[in-house]
Order: sequence, then C-alpha cells, then structure tokens
Amino acid sequence: MRVLLVEDSTELVALLKKGLARSGLDADSVHNAADAAHALATMRYAAVVLDRGLPDEDGLSLVRDMRRRGDSTPVLVLTARDGVTDRVSGLREGADDYMAKPFAMEELVARLQALLRRSDNLLGRRLTFGNVALDTEGRQVIVEGTVRSFPARETAVLEILLRRGGNVAPKRLFEDHLFGLSGDVGSNAVEVYVHRLRKMLADAGATVKIHTVRGVGYLMAEEKNG
Amino acid sequence: MNRFRSIISRVVALHVVAIGVISIVMPLALYWLLNEAANGLHRDALRSQAVTISGFLKPQPDGDVALDIPTEMQPLYAGSYGLYSYAVLDPTGKVLFSSRNDGSALFPLQDSHVGDWAMRRRSTGSVLFGVTVGRAVGGQSYLIQVAQDLSHRDVIIDDIVASFFPSVAWITFPLLMALLLFDIMIFRRALKPVREASDTALSIGPTSTDVRLPEAAMPTEIVPLVHAVNQALDRLETGFRAQRDFTADMAHELRTPLTIVRARVDSLEPGPLRDSLRTDLENTTRIVNQMLDIAELESFIVAGDARADLQAVCAEAVAFMAPLAVGQSKMIALGGSEAPVWVRGHPEALFRAVRNLIENAIRHAPAGGSIEVEVSADGAVRVLDDGPGVPESERESVFRRFWRRDRTHAESRGLGLAIVARVAQTHDGDITVENRPTGGAAFTLRLRPASGSTAAN
Repeated sequence: MRVLLVEDSTELVALLKKGLARSGLDADSVHNAADAAHALATMRYAAVVLDRGLPDEDGLSLVRDMRRRGDSTPVLVLTARDGVTDRVSGLREGADDYMAKPFAMEELVARLQALLRRSDNLLGRRLTFGNVALDTEGRQVIVEGTVRSFPARETAVLEILLRRGGNVAPKRLFEDHLFGLSGDVGSNAVEVYVHRLRKMLADAGATVKIHTVRGVGYLMAEEKNG
Repeated sequence: MNRFRSIISRVVALHVVAIGVISIVMPLALYWLLNEAANGLHRDALRSQAVTISGFLKPQPDGDVALDIPTEMQPLYAGSYGLYSYAVLDPTGKVLFSSRNDGSALFPLQDSHVGDWAMRRRSTGSVLFGVTVGRAVGGQSYLIQVAQDLSHRDVIIDDIVASFFPSVAWITFPLLMALLLFDIMIFRRALKPVREASDTALSIGPTSTDVRLPEAAMPTEIVPLVHAVNQALDRLETGFRAQRDFTADMAHELRTPLTIVRARVDSLEPGPLRDSLRTDLENTTRIVNQMLDIAELESFIVAGDARADLQAVCAEAVAFMAPLAVGQSKMIALGGSEAPVWVRGHPEALFRAVRNLIENAIRHAPAGGSIEVEVSADGAVRVLDDGPGVPESERESVFRRFWRRDRTHAESRGLGLAIVARVAQTHDGDITVENRPTGGAAFTLRLRPASGSTAAN
C-alpha cells in the first residue's frame, strides 16, 4: 500500500517516510504540484499527504483538479497556514482531512489510517483503542485478546467511539446511528446504552474509559495507571 | 449652505428662480412689445387718415383752399362722438379747418414734431394721440393733424392683452414646468451610475478588497473622482495583501522548522528525553501559534454581515479541548442554551477566543476539577473554572500581552487571553472576568446578537 507525499521540504519528507514506514506504509515523494499531478496520473495511491504551501502552486488546486477528474483518493492536507481566515478552506475544497503544522507523527499515522479505512477497508476491519478492539464485519469485541459478545446497540456505540479515536463523538451522532430516522429517541436513551457499555468494558478489564462531555457528547480515553 | 448639497435640489432651486424671473420679465417685455406694435399700427392708421383728409382739400381759384368731406364720412369726425378729430393748418400755424367746436388746433405747433412723429396732449383729462402730416395741395403746403382719444385705443389693446396673456401663460408655464421635469429626469439618469457605484463601494471590506467602482458608465465629470478612489483602493489592497502575505510567510517560516524538529523528536527512542523534548516543543508551538494569531488579528476585521452560531462554536471548542481536559483528569461540560445563538461574528475567530478561554480554565482548574462553558441566548458565553480565581487588582491586566504576575516569575500567561480580548474588540463585544462566589474564575465574553437573529433553523 503506497502513499504519495507531496512536500517541498526534503528534510521533512525523509522524516515522514521513516515514520510511515514504521507503521507499515510505503511512501513515494514529490516536491511540487506539477510532479504530484504527474505521479497521480501514472500510479494509483492509497492516499495522498499534501502540503498546502508548495513552491509552484497552492496544494488545494491539486485537490480541486483531482476531484474534477473524479479521482477520489483520500487526501490529507498539511498546512503551515492555520490562520483565523483560512483554517477550514481545505475541507471545503475537497480534502478529506486537515492537519496544522507542526503535528505529532502518531497523529498523522492515526488520521491516515482512518482515511484508508474509510475509503476501501484497505487496512482490514479492526478498530483498536487501548486494549479494546472491534471487528467491524464480525461485530466482535475483543478486550485484552479475549472475544466478548456485546449486544448490537452497545457494539454500535463502541464503534462510533473507536472511529473517533480519542476525540469527542457528538451525541447527535449516536442518535442518528442507533435510531436512524425513526425519530422516537428518548432524551436519555443514548445515556442508557453508554452506561451499559461502560459497565461491560469495566467488567471485561478494558483500559479505556468513556467520559461524558455534558452538552456535547462522549469521549473515549485511555485510563492512566494509578 | 448645506441646504443645496444635492445637485438635483440645486437645479430645482435655480429653475424655480428662473421661472419666477421669467414670469415677471416676460409679461413686461411682451407688454412693451405689444404696445410698440399697437402704437405703430395706430400711427399708420392716423397717418393714412391724414392723407385721406388731405385728399379732401380742394384748392380754390382765389388761392384759398376748401375742405370738402363727403357726407358719408362726416360721422367719423363728428365732434365728441367721432373716432377721429382733425385740424388743417397752414405752415404758419394758422388753423384753416378744425373738427373741434372752438376751431382750435389739436396740438400747439411748437409741440408737434412736424413730420411723421406721433405725440400726445392732455386736454380736459383725456389723452390725445395724434400725428401731424405735411402735404402739398395745389402748390401750397399744409399741415394736417389727426388725433384719436386714447380711451378708444385702450379698448383694442386691452382686448388683445386680455386674450393674449392667458394663452401665453398657459403655454409658457407648463413648458417651464416640463423643462424642470426633464432636467430632473436627465440628472437622475446621469447620477444612476453614481448611486450604483455607491452600493458597490459599500460592499468593499477587508475580505473583498478586489472590488472596484465601475468607471465605464460614469458621467465624464465624475470619472476623475471615481478613478482616484479606485487608485486609492489599489493601494489599500496592496497594503492588505502585503500584511496577509507577511503573516502567511511568517507562519510558514516558523512552522516548517518546528515540524521538522517535531518529526525528528518523534523518531527518537521512547524515553524521558523524548517526552521532555515533546513538552518543550509543544510549549514553543503554542507560543508561535499565539503570536501568529495575534499578528493576523491585528489586520482582522469582521465583515458587516458575518454571522456565527455561538452555541455551535462553543460545542466545537468544548469537543476540541475535551481530550486535553480528560487527559488532565478534569471535567468539562457545555451548558446553557441548546438552540442556536446567532451573533455577529467570524466563527473561526470566535472559536479561537472560546478555545483560549477553555485552555486558560483547564490550566487553572485543579486536578479533578471542572470547567463549565455556558452559552446564553443573549449572545454571551461564560467559561467557569474552580481554580484560585483572579485577584481584583489583576482583572484588567490578565488580558495584556505576555502579562505575568511579577517579573521574577518566569511563566507568563502568554497571549491566550490577549487573543480573546482582541477577538472581543474586533467583534465590538467585551470580555470581563470576576470570581465565582464558590471560588474560581468566571470569564464572560459578550457579543452582539446578529441582525435578524430570529432567522434560520
């Protein structure tokens, strides 16, 4: 599985390649938009990591060209310009995710893997966080290597939390996923399933904990020892 | 002199004055012309009468002359009832014949300009208007005077004036008014591009500095002004762009090396060195980001029609900061309004303000403490923590850049709250801090409700 790195700093490219290789991702690299367009036309990549500030043109115009051609390869945009006035423009132009420089290598890998999963299930069907994993096809929950069977709705709650990978999942998301358009959602229905899931995870010996962010949603975090 | 600042009102005012002057001068001039014409006609009529009378002078064999007026014409000259009176004089001024009862001359000879000139005389209140014409009959020259009582003439003139003036007024006045309307229409049409350019100019803001006023349809007199304004806009745009480019370049120049260092640190073997380098890098990154935010906010202006849902902005900020709070074993929650709260503002700038308030609260809340964000429907957001609070004497200074409690203390509060204050300022809002009765600080960011805030969703 190859990823295309479009970044003009050769030093950063070398470091990124090393970081991606550690996570099992091979990368080709180009240093400007023209070479990137050429590479995309000749090779099929699983994802593109694209710097916005390229020497020849704005990286976003490359995304626009790709989308116009019907190329849906996931694009993760890197930018040094994380300003008040141009933070969100990347996502509007058709990029799939957006990261401000400087970033942590682990986060880049995590987000890239999330994109790869989203596109073609290329990275298998396993979502992992701490010692908890979920096989999205078999609907099996694995805690500390032991397969557990959780009820469907609790499993669905867990899947949403795992997919958000340490970020807050808005309450609305649970309501939409669990109850679809049936609409008839009791005000504390989600709360009830989260509560049950918490108990099941704790009983199974999980190192993750589900935190309530009142007024916003839920967040899964690894429990610190001690 | 501000009364006539509008060109149209000036035109109307001048036009009204012109109508006033014309409506006084023109009747007078017409009256004078009419009088002149009537006098001329009258003179000609009197003169031909004099010629007719001279035709009735018959030279006698004895050298005298006799006046033989045909019977049918005699009523014309019949004393006070006749139209005309006449007198025939010899060159010495002796009256030979006269239609007057006393047989006197109509005008004293010295007053009459012998020749063709008309003249007037006042006698017993009535005004005579007449001519004296010299004619030669049978080798002898005579002066023939013919006159008419002015009262007769006035009747004719009055008739003319009475019928003529109203019709002149009926034509002139509407014509002048129509002209005035045409003038106003012409001016309104000529000024239409100016009005349109004004609308265009209104839309020019820091986010749309590329807009220029149209010069094509402008009246030639106004083109230089429009051109000068466009040139000023060019210079302004260049300045804005230079400022933006500088901030963007600075961001690139500062963040690229930080990214490389960060990637290098991430590739180190796990251990205490890597962890402490990461912490140092994160602090440096935070300061750099804050400085870039401050630099960008210096030239940042909120567009007049910018709207933001404060409730959504706060939900996003709480979600964004929740992992940090949870990582430090602190609770974070969003309360207050659950419906959208529309305020005038730039969503991203407001997000950064609220995020910085939360970051500040997380830093000061004790482990196990909690941070509460409350949105109120009137467009305010309160960020509450249960830390030590802010002493009364520091409630202004905490919003200053790089402020620290005492100079000997190394760690400053940085730029976080200064950014909040700047965002509040650009939004025409305000930020205050007070201590909660239960301890801890309560920061309140107040914003202006969006116009038409009942709309949408």
